[in-house]
This record gives sequence, structure tokens and C-alpha cells, in this order.
Amino acid sequence: MKLLLPLLLMSAFLPMSAQVRLPEFTREQLPNGAVLLLLPRHDVPLVSVRAVFRGGAESEPPGYNGIAAITAELMRRGAGKRSAAQIDNDLDFLGAELSAGANRQSAYFALEFLSRTAPEAMAILGDILAAPTFPEEEVRKVLAQAADRVRAAKDNPGMAVGRYFQGLFYPAGHPYRHSGAADEISVARISREEIVKYYRRMACGKNLILVAAGDFDPASFAALARRTASALPAGEAFQPPQAGQLRFERPRLLLVDKPDATQTYFRIGMPGIHRRHPDRISLLVANTLFGGRFTSLLNDALRVNAGLTYGANSILELDRLPGAIAINSYTPTATTVQAIDLALEVLQRFLRTGVSAEQLDSARAYIKGNFPTERLETSDQLCNVLADLELFGLDRSDIDTFFQQLDSLTVESLNAAIRRHFTESNLQFCLVGNASAIEKEVSKYAPAMKVIPVKSEGFAPPEF
Amino acid sequence: MISALAMQAQMIRVSEHTLSNGMKILIHEDHDVPNVAFYLFFKVGSRNERPGVTGISHFFEHMMFNGAKKYGPKQFDIQMEKAGGRNNAYTSRDVTVYTDFFPRTALELMFDMEADRIRDLSFDPKIVESERGVVSSERRNSVDNSPFGTLFEQLNATAYIAHPYQWPVIGWASDIQSWTMDDLKAHYRMGYAPNNCVAVVSGDVTPAEVLALAKKYLEPIPSQDPPPPVRTVEPPQLGERRVEVRRPANLPLLMLSYHIGSARDPDFPVYEVIETILTGGRSSRLHQRLVEKEQLVLNVGGGVRPSLDPGQFLFNFQVRSGRQPGEVEKALYEELDRLAREPVPAEELQKAKNQILAGFYRQLKTIAGKANLLGTYEVFYGSWNQINEAPARIEKVTAADVQRVAAKIFPSRNRTVATLIPEQRAEVKP
Repeated sequence: MKLLLPLLLMSAFLPMSAQVRLPEFTREQLPNGAVLLLLPRHDVPLVSVRAVFRGGAESEPPGYNGIAAITAELMRRGAGKRSAAQIDNDLDFLGAELSAGANRQSAYFALEFLSRTAPEAMAILGDILAAPTFPEEEVRKVLAQAADRVRAAKDNPGMAVGRYFQGLFYPAGHPYRHSGAADEISVARISREEIVKYYRRMACGKNLILVAAGDFDPASFAALARRTASALPAGEAFQPPQAGQLRFERPRLLLVDKPDATQTYFRIGMPGIHRRHPDRISLLVANTLFGGRFTSLLNDALRVNAGLTYGANSILELDRLPGAIAINSYTPTATTVQAIDLALEVLQRFLRTGVSAEQLDSARAYIKGNFPTERLETSDQLCNVLADLELFGLDRSDIDTFFQQLDSLTVESLNAAIRRHFTESNLQFCLVGNASAIEKEVSKYAPAMKVIPVKSEGFAPPEF
Repeated sequence: MISALAMQAQMIRVSEHTLSNGMKILIHEDHDVPNVAFYLFFKVGSRNERPGVTGISHFFEHMMFNGAKKYGPKQFDIQMEKAGGRNNAYTSRDVTVYTDFFPRTALELMFDMEADRIRDLSFDPKIVESERGVVSSERRNSVDNSPFGTLFEQLNATAYIAHPYQWPVIGWASDIQSWTMDDLKAHYRMGYAPNNCVAVVSGDVTPAEVLALAKKYLEPIPSQDPPPPVRTVEPPQLGERRVEVRRPANLPLLMLSYHIGSARDPDFPVYEVIETILTGGRSSRLHQRLVEKEQLVLNVGGGVRPSLDPGQFLFNFQVRSGRQPGEVEKALYEELDRLAREPVPAEELQKAKNQILAGFYRQLKTIAGKANLLGTYEVFYGSWNQINEAPARIEKVTAADVQRVAAKIFPSRNRTVATLIPEQRAEVKP
């Protein structure tokens, strides 16, 4: 593999490309408040379904990190008249695949099945959504597994650095501090009672978005989908918490000590934007150039020119609340400072010189060229697009005018947006590596520095 | 009770051509999105290496992006991204595959750039040195800093004692530091002959335009000798082999390898059915027993992959805290014995077949998935057209086949067992 592609990004081009359009779909609100989105298309004989409940990490009670994802997992482990093993068996017999989980603003069930098995597959999904039984034994099992998953994550620094970064970047009480992932502390606290309470509060019609795309007959499938969604009570719509723009008073550095690590994994963050921010298109382009593709400034400097790493990228978070812009890479322990210095130099150059017309054209082309295969090719992708539009309160113009919005950017407007959001001040550094070898040198990045052992509980450092 | 899932006889249509220099071109039209997937399969991988230059195929995968005659250093990526495309590549024991994804407007550019690097790659010593650092970093990330990667490498080095499948695709760390310019040039001549390549184009194209571009850009590249045949045949294993790794970790790992045949083995469909019965989905035997009932492991992984030479049936398990790899082994062996002893119930066999057939459709969802499937079938199974027969081959597998093959491959003398034992203190040099 050549490069681990950055999370989340869309990419590529068409010189005189026509605007791409979202295929036609229908939207219907059911009496219990659930929103039903259907997009029939006849490509392969498969149907993709997303059942999305608003909430996710944002709806977790304090101290119960991960309860949204754990509840979603448990909903499929016993529902209606079926046990967990029966649900697994029945879905596998249909050749269906189901995954359940949660992210910052929602819990989701992603189901894919062969068209001709729609009645059976939707009946199982209906039970999972509306009639989970939360067997005591399954609760114990899932919580114990979650605890071991935390341990496994800490064995893999590349996986752990992202979680520690969130713990550093988001202040106590912010819903993204844990981003819906369990830790040793919350797993010990979560009980069946809390799970049932959480389920009753969140799994209701007013929070449900049910999306299907794929090979189905609109009339008969709509009847199935209505039945599935209508089984839930209307309930109370979740009111998501508000949070202002993140601000940092000073640079901080969290060093997570993993004495056996032979590389340092690092993430360097600054405040970013939310999904509906007017600068989103500008920052998609900016991030593409800065660290969002192979020829980006970061990858070119750290990997291609210096050979310090297998990959360097930048992450632009786009969630309901303002998130982070973060530099992300890893390098051998001995070149830690060299690599971080170089990343900071790239950031400084990016701020000082901005981008050129040629760079803007290239990034625009890259985003446009990759957009169809990343967002609009498969039924899964279309389900995700429709669910996101609904979740973020957007409409189809978000997709249908996307290319026009890219075309309307100018070098001046783009550089102004870069100066508004990218900064060298008060950066937040998160490093996972062999502390005894690098601690002294990396202290130059931030006088406010904390070293914690990877063995300590959780992923969030004490406040500092 | 639900019946078997019917499959369409013709799953995919392809226009097939062989250029005068021996390069095979497969073209599949799909106009759903205005994009194209262009996959080039070179039949060269770590099986074509020798001690001292292990990992050179994979290193070459990197070098192919570092400049040729017409498009110099960095230009492949710069031009491609500017034209709205992106690329990737992967190397295995058997093949090196270059994957290009781009809007149809970039089709001619891609043919021009691919031809340039297949014919006239440049070898700048400075770039070679910098790329060594990149690959060392990749190795540190995927092997040294990954318990899974560390153990997997030890497993293969133990399971094979003669055949080149014993060394890691990324190469031993000392070899990455040591190969020379001559090694690189020799490898390029050996692996990158047009007659050693299958090119697949899938997406918003017509066969006529693709063929015209192939004739213009790829056909003039002269053919050469393909890699010499891999002569070494792995001798039969004479008894169980075990290997242990001790390193700092929170949880133990367990991996097992059993020798099986190559992709051309007539029993390969039976391997796939056994794989699904044991590890496919949450209802599979091993998931139900080890993850759900006995709660010995966090997950069950493994199975079979098509290979040019006789390959492996693999299992891997992340062992739960407080449990021992030995407990997992005992339960696993009971399940493998049961598979050989008792016929699989009809419904369970049908479930496995349904899962495999649904899996085929999932690979057809994208133009990239189709390009990969076509090339894989052409290289490993002898013809892309085998895709259209695959469902029937799976459908034909009987409960007696499963018993017979399980009895053949799962005796203890055919297995290698690797365990990672967590240690609190160990000296790991940076």
C-alpha cells in the first residue's frame, strides 16, 4: 500500500466538468416523526439501509462514554423473539451484513441485503430498532469485550494516538472529548439499567432517520420501511448541546509514554469548523493542499522529500459542533523532533505564502474528480449522503451545487479563509512514543506539558 | 425456511485483447459514474525474490512513483491529482498491482504515464535512499509497532522452510537497508515486461477507445523474458511447528497456519466454504463458540486467499485478558475435528453458500471492485471468465467434500502455531 489516505476527504477533477447531481429520492415524515428517505437504483441486486438515531456521543450522560455505541451493539443482541445467535444466523443465511455503532452525532445501523430478501431482512431490522431485549448475559459480555478492546487499542499506538488527541483537544464536559468511545472507567460504570434508560430516551420516532438506496420497488419497499419505522414511539426529539468555538490560551503537549514504541506517533491540532460553516468549501480545498492528498505539502515534505515517514496528512473534522484541524504523522523515535519541526515549517510556509491559482485549480480538480466514486457510486455511499444531509439539516443543494461552490472560489477568498482558520499559535500537541528518549527535546514545543503512561486509565489527561 | 439464492449466470461482461507484445487487456464498460478504474497486475511479488533482497518487489512498488523519462520525479502524482485522479498500489507474495482511479477525461494521460514508467523508469540514487526511509517507516509501523504484524511474520517464517512464502512481503529490515542499484535494475527488467502484465480498465469507457490507447501507448513496449519459474516446492510438513514471541502487550495473540493448495487446486471452492463455515460472519462456528459462548477471544480472523503456489489456511485470534492461548487452541482443534467427523447440516452449508454468493455481488458494487476481481481471476484462476462460473463451483460443494477436505488439511502435523505472550519488560531497540 502506498499511503493511508486521510480520513474523511473527498478528492479529484474534471476540467470543464458538469455539476454532479444527487439522484432523485423521496422524503416522507411519518406520524411518529421518523423521516423516511428512499432512493431506488438498479445496479447490483442489493439494498443498503441506514437507520440513524440522532444523538450519538452528544447524547451520552457524563461519565458514560461509549454508551451510545454499546447500546447500538446490544440492540442487535436479542430483539423480538430472536436471541443474539438467532439474529446472527438469520442475517448470515440471507447473505446480509449488519453493522451497528455510533459517532459524534448519531447512532447507526447499516444493513445490506440481497433485494429478494427485503421482507425478511427488514423484519429483523424492525425488531432490532423497536423491540430489543437487552439480555443480561449479552450486556455483561459486550461490556467485557469493550474493556478488552481498550486494552488492544493501547497495544497499537497508531490507533491510540487519535483517542488521546481528542482527550487533549476537547475540554472536560465537551461531547467530543471521548467521541463516543468507551474507556476502562466508563465500562466499569455502565449497567443494563443505564442502557435501557438510554435506549428509551433516544430510540424514538422523532430521532429516527431511515434511509434506503438500491434495488427495490419504491411502492412495496416504502410499505416495508414505514412498518419498520412506525414501530417506534414518537418520543421526545433530542436537543443537542451547544458549544462555542474552541480557543486555546497557550500551546500544550501531551506525551503518552509507551516505552516499547520504536516510532513516535504525533497529532498537532488547532481549532477548526463545523459541517455547516460557510468556509467549509474553502477549507476542503485548503486541507487537500495542506495534507489531504499524496502530493500535499505535508506528505511531500515529510515523506517524499525527507523520507521521515510512510505518510503525513492533515485531518479536517466536519461535525455538528466545531472540531479540529490536525496534522498527523509518525516517525522513528530518533527523528521525532526533525519530523515535527518540518511539519511546523510546512504550516508556517502555508500561512505565509498561501496558495497559488495553479494550486487552487489542481485541488479543485482533485476534489471534483474523486467525488463521484467516493460519494455517489454505491448505494451505501448514497445512504450516507442522504443521512448526513438530514442529520445536519441540509438539503440536496449541498451536493447539487457543490461543484459550483468550488468553482466560485478565488485565490483571494481561499487565502483569506486559510488565514482565518489555520494558525501557528497555541497548537495542541499529542505524542505517543518512548518518553524517556524524547521527553527533553519535545518540551520545547510547549512549556505546558504532561507525560502520562499508556497504562493509566482512560484516554483523557488531567486538565492542564 | 428460506431457499437458496439464485445467481445470474452472467455476472460481468468483458472485452478481452492481447497486444502484440503479450500484454493482456481486459475492458469492462460501466457508465454509472463518469470515472475509470485502471488496474495493472504485474506477475511479480515476494515469491520471485531471494535472501538478501527480500522486500524488493514491494520497494519497487514505491519506486514506480518516483519518476521516468517523460514524467520526471513526482510528476506521476502531480499530473494525476491535477487531472482529478488518485492512485494506490499493493504488493503481495504473487503480484504487484498498480491501481489508478480517475475521471474519464484523464484516460489518455494515464495510458501515457503508465507506458512511460513501464518502459523508462529512472533510478536516481538520492531518491532510492529517501524511499528506503519511507519503507523502513512503513515496516516499523506495520510490523515493529504492531503485535499482529510481528507475530504474522514469525508464523510465516516458521510455516515455510523452503519456499519463498517464508519471508515477509515488506522484506527483512536488514534487506531494506542493503539492496543495491543493480538489484533494483535487475528486478525492473525481470518483473515489468509487458508480457508479464494484465491490464484491466473498468468504468466509463468504450472498448474501442481503450484498445486504441493501448495500441498507441502500451503496444510499442518490447516484450522481455518474464521472471524465471519459482522452482522450490515446499516439502510436506512432518509434524506440528510452534513459535513464540514475547513482547510488551496487554493481550495475547494466537495465529495458526495449515498448508493447502494453490488457487488452481480443484478443492479451492471447498476451502472457501470451510472458511465461511468456520469464520464467516457472527453465526460462524468459531465466532459463536470462541467469541460468544466461551468468550476466549475478541475476534476471529483468517481464512484462505488465492495464491500461485500452495498457500495457507490461516486463523488469528486476539485472546481475551485472563485467558490463555492454549484454551483457544483446544477449542479450535475440537471444531476442526468435528468438521472432519460430522457432515455439515444442509441448512448450515446453504448459509455458507449464500454468504459467499452475496460476497461476490459486494465486489461488483464499484468499478474498482470489478477491476480488482477481473485481474485477480485472470492471474490466479487462469481466466477472468472463471468469475461467471464461480457461483456454480461454490454451489456444487457437498457436505462430503467439506468432511474430506477438512480431514486432509487439519491434522496436527500440518499446522504451525504462533503465540504472542505479553511481557511487562522487554528490551526493544529503537
